[in-house]
Amino acid sequence: MSATGIGATVRRKEDQRFITGKGHYTADVNRAGQTHACFVRSPHAHARIKGIDATAASKMPGVVAVLTGADLAVDKLGNLICGWMIHSKDGSAMKMAPHPALAQTKACHVGDPVAVVIAETLAQAKDAAEKVQVDYEVLPAVADPAQAQSAGAAQIHEVAPKNTIYQWQLGDKGKTDAAFQSAAHVTKLDIVNNRLVPNAIEPRAAIGEYDSGTGHFTLWNTTQNPHVARLVIAAFIGMAPEHKLRVIAPDVGGGFGSKIFIYPEEVVALWASKRVGRPVKWVAERVESFLSDAHGRDHVTHAEMAFDRDGKVVGLRARTIANLGAYMSTFSSSVPTYLYATLLSGQYNIPNIYCEVDAVYTNTVPVDAYRGAGRPEATFVVERLVEVAARELSIDPAELRKRNFIHQFPHQTPVILAYDAGDYNASLKKALELADYKGFAKRKRESARDGKLRGIGLSAYIEACGLAPSQAAGSLGAGVGLWESAEVRVNPTGSVEVLTGSHSHGQGHETTFAQLVSERLGIAIDNVSIVHGDTDIVQFGMGTYGSRSGAVGMSAIVKALDKVEAKAKKVASHLLEAAEGDIVFKDGKFTVAGTDRSVPWGDVALNAYTAHKFSGQELEPGLKETSFYDPTNFTFPAGCHVCEVEIDPDTGETEIVNWTAVDDFGVLVNPMIVEGQVHGGITQGVGQALLERAIYDKDGQLVTGSFMDYCMPRAHDVPSFKVGVTVTKCPSNPLGIKGCGEAGAIAAPAAVINAITDAIGSEQIAMPATPQAVWTAIQRGNATRKAAE
Amino acid sequence: MPAVSMTVNGKPVTADVDPRTLLVQFLREELRLTGTHVGCDTSQCGACVVHVNGRAIKSCTVFALQLEGAKVATIEGLANGDQLHPMQEAFRDNHGLQCGFCTPGMIMAAVDIVNRKGHDLDEHTIRSELEGNLCRCTGYHNIVKAIAAGARAMGSGAAVTQKAAE
Amino acid sequence: MAMVMDGEVQLPAPREVVWAKLNDAEVLKACIPGCESLEKLSETEFQAVAVVKIGPVKAKFKGKVRLSDLDPPNGYRISGEGDGGVAGFAKGGATVALTPKDGTQLSYHVDAQIGGKLAQLGQRLVNGAAKNMADQFFKNFVAAVS
Repeated sequence: MSATGIGATVRRKEDQRFITGKGHYTADVNRAGQTHACFVRSPHAHARIKGIDATAASKMPGVVAVLTGADLAVDKLGNLICGWMIHSKDGSAMKMAPHPALAQTKACHVGDPVAVVIAETLAQAKDAAEKVQVDYEVLPAVADPAQAQSAGAAQIHEVAPKNTIYQWQLGDKGKTDAAFQSAAHVTKLDIVNNRLVPNAIEPRAAIGEYDSGTGHFTLWNTTQNPHVARLVIAAFIGMAPEHKLRVIAPDVGGGFGSKIFIYPEEVVALWASKRVGRPVKWVAERVESFLSDAHGRDHVTHAEMAFDRDGKVVGLRARTIANLGAYMSTFSSSVPTYLYATLLSGQYNIPNIYCEVDAVYTNTVPVDAYRGAGRPEATFVVERLVEVAARELSIDPAELRKRNFIHQFPHQTPVILAYDAGDYNASLKKALELADYKGFAKRKRESARDGKLRGIGLSAYIEACGLAPSQAAGSLGAGVGLWESAEVRVNPTGSVEVLTGSHSHGQGHETTFAQLVSERLGIAIDNVSIVHGDTDIVQFGMGTYGSRSGAVGMSAIVKALDKVEAKAKKVASHLLEAAEGDIVFKDGKFTVAGTDRSVPWGDVALNAYTAHKFSGQELEPGLKETSFYDPTNFTFPAGCHVCEVEIDPDTGETEIVNWTAVDDFGVLVNPMIVEGQVHGGITQGVGQALLERAIYDKDGQLVTGSFMDYCMPRAHDVPSFKVGVTVTKCPSNPLGIKGCGEAGAIAAPAAVINAITDAIGSEQIAMPATPQAVWTAIQRGNATRKAAE
Repeated sequence: MPAVSMTVNGKPVTADVDPRTLLVQFLREELRLTGTHVGCDTSQCGACVVHVNGRAIKSCTVFALQLEGAKVATIEGLANGDQLHPMQEAFRDNHGLQCGFCTPGMIMAAVDIVNRKGHDLDEHTIRSELEGNLCRCTGYHNIVKAIAAGARAMGSGAAVTQKAAE
Repeated sequence: MAMVMDGEVQLPAPREVVWAKLNDAEVLKACIPGCESLEKLSETEFQAVAVVKIGPVKAKFKGKVRLSDLDPPNGYRISGEGDGGVAGFAKGGATVALTPKDGTQLSYHVDAQIGGKLAQLGQRLVNGAAKNMADQFFKNFVAAVS
């Protein structure tokens, strides 16, 4: 390993600009002659739009235009779409309702944009937005997914009777039911996976610009996948053909999934820029983020796990209602189906699994992928069931897990996925050692002496990442391929630009991708630039989500580097006057095998461009190669997290006193960055378990709509984390990488809740386990115990 | 529109502003100092922290007009030319940032913590002093490490030599 | 976001006087906190403009106020809905009952709903704000009937 190669802890190249205030985010972009947009949003969860009177608003100072859904319809712009087809058990296609960028006939959630004011300044746009008169006929609303399908519930979209988008299933119902019938023990749980707001600290933003001279549009946008945004806006919205639409994602301040999707605001900014003939800039306020960024999770689940006499799992079944909100967001349909039910085998050998999922519309903000996307929900189901079962069966939770671990690979689960590699025992063992599991009883006694309740909880999670073999994804309904692209451009002086279809919004690709190139070509990391986030510069790429940039994005770079090396060897063979097959490339030098004759990398790069040593008939000049890499399987990161809590029974306040994470991410490129990803993921998971919940009242009003009421994890809510790794190489990509971005958020909620329920001696507590909820559970437990005495 | 004059990063500035202009808008839009960020509208996130007359404030909570004659320091003014401030160096060395959006506010808040609490900061102090700053990426672990290291370096007056590998 | 509130006030005036004042647009305008205008459209309908501040949200609400279930001089229901533009909306009403007792005892039952930015940002404060507004209204009303 070189000092900057794969496996080295290298300080990040991108940090210089961020620590000096020179980062360049979408909101920092200003275009000559730009105008500012302010959206008028529905204050009602469900209302027919009878009319919009923009007369007064149009006369306000500085107003350039007031545009509505009717104007959008005049220009015949298409609807926003969901790009993953799911079929119901009866074979029918999912019920996708029209989603115009500005509501046309009715508003379906609080925050649904109904008009936009374009003005010279933002203040003027806001002032004028106050004057837009919208005549609403308020309709009954439904916000609770568990109520959405009931007979009396408000009907949101004509295409979806009983608000049901699909009724989907996976697994063998007959075999699973039979396994339950002959089971020795069945553990049952009702689970609400609480609705979350992603809340990247950078709010979403968009600047649209239209050049009437060329007919070209440019969109600066806070997006995790600029090419996918361009594809959807071109092909489905019909704004402009792809070659006349440029999407630029400059520095993006965190995404966590929420910036994958194509939203109304960027569509409107682009469209309006042509309408008014000037650039249009929109930057979300945080209250708008709460009302317009796709939310996450929001499952209501009943789950059961069946065991035989030896404590072996013989079956798992789950029934889930998934809230997809008022419209189907870009990938929302896939989250509670193929990203969820396929993971219900966890790390365990479970012969029979059956899962039913009903996806419903409600009068709430659309729900889509948020860090983990389906996999945290699955892990929560599996790891809560195992933990509760262990208590019911009086088996140590670690022992029960061990007893059921998968040991043989590859392992075909009954829910599509074939795990390719892993060592679940190793990560459990290491986690228990690092967490001093053996010493827990003593620590619990010490806590008890201080009047505190101490608990410990495990979460042995698995995820399917590195999305995905395109053919497999396509057969499951994906509307896109999930390969990744890379172009390696070698300059005459030997420095390198890598154009990647991946997108970095905090992951550190400018460093890790450069580490790969540095090691492979033997050049300094500073001689490598990573270029991403501009559709005019970079070839089509699929973007960053699903922990895929290492496994898929870097593999594409490897494939392009293979081609670069092959071409460079040809150049070197001419320089060294040796047969191409005799050239060996190592440590940045091309050597004739078995001799001391060599040329350095830089000479080969220069000669590839001077082309003095070979003819055009023999070899094309230049040194630049492209690869589109499609993985052969998902990757399967897995690990074990151990959470230890101390609870004050008088206040119900939970303090996380120890956290141990042992993860198997395959090969690590930069351990420092990987650990950072783990820390951040855990903290989002802790947020879900202890603090965060988006609450709608029965009328569909979002009552946790700002940082005043939606509790984000702060520094004092989490401890420092102990992070360890075990390594089994991923066999399905050339680097052996599995991916690390989502693991913490997937593992953490179950670990926290398992620890809390262990501390207070209860099997159930809802997330978020606020002090009030924990205190109430303690009181309930005390009352039950008293009654039993 | 009324005029306001203040010193920003050591340079005197004067401008006519709409009275409702917040300091953060004045910095970002009038002076194009876009290193100071806006992450919320309710003074909770701390992405907009700057120093006014030597103390950290959230620049979304004051009007530009209130700062007549004030000395304002932003993230752009923290380094001494090419030489980074020890706290900036510590954030890089300890991987105290990921997407970078909360970072300017974090660093300005961190320098203020050191100014108020000294150079020997324990974890508990740092975590509770960070109450006004949100980060969604790092889980705070490395920010806490960075601030402890930055505080020490500010005390020693030497550059931070601690390696990220620690 | 729904809320309810009940209360009673003692008024130093006979029931007929109280009833008359409760139906007097000028009196109501003077008593409703933040009321900028209250125009009579008919015997039972008014067009109102009021400025309301709840927590960080301050907005001018425009809407209709209606009197119904008129039962002179025992009481009525006063209801309305206001559109606060981007601040959201408020709607609701109060059932008012008058009983002759040491002057007049006025009891009220208020039900209200708020939505949009008001609910998003102001919901924790809305009960307190509504209570304040009711207190302010009756303080003014006591003065008006005295």
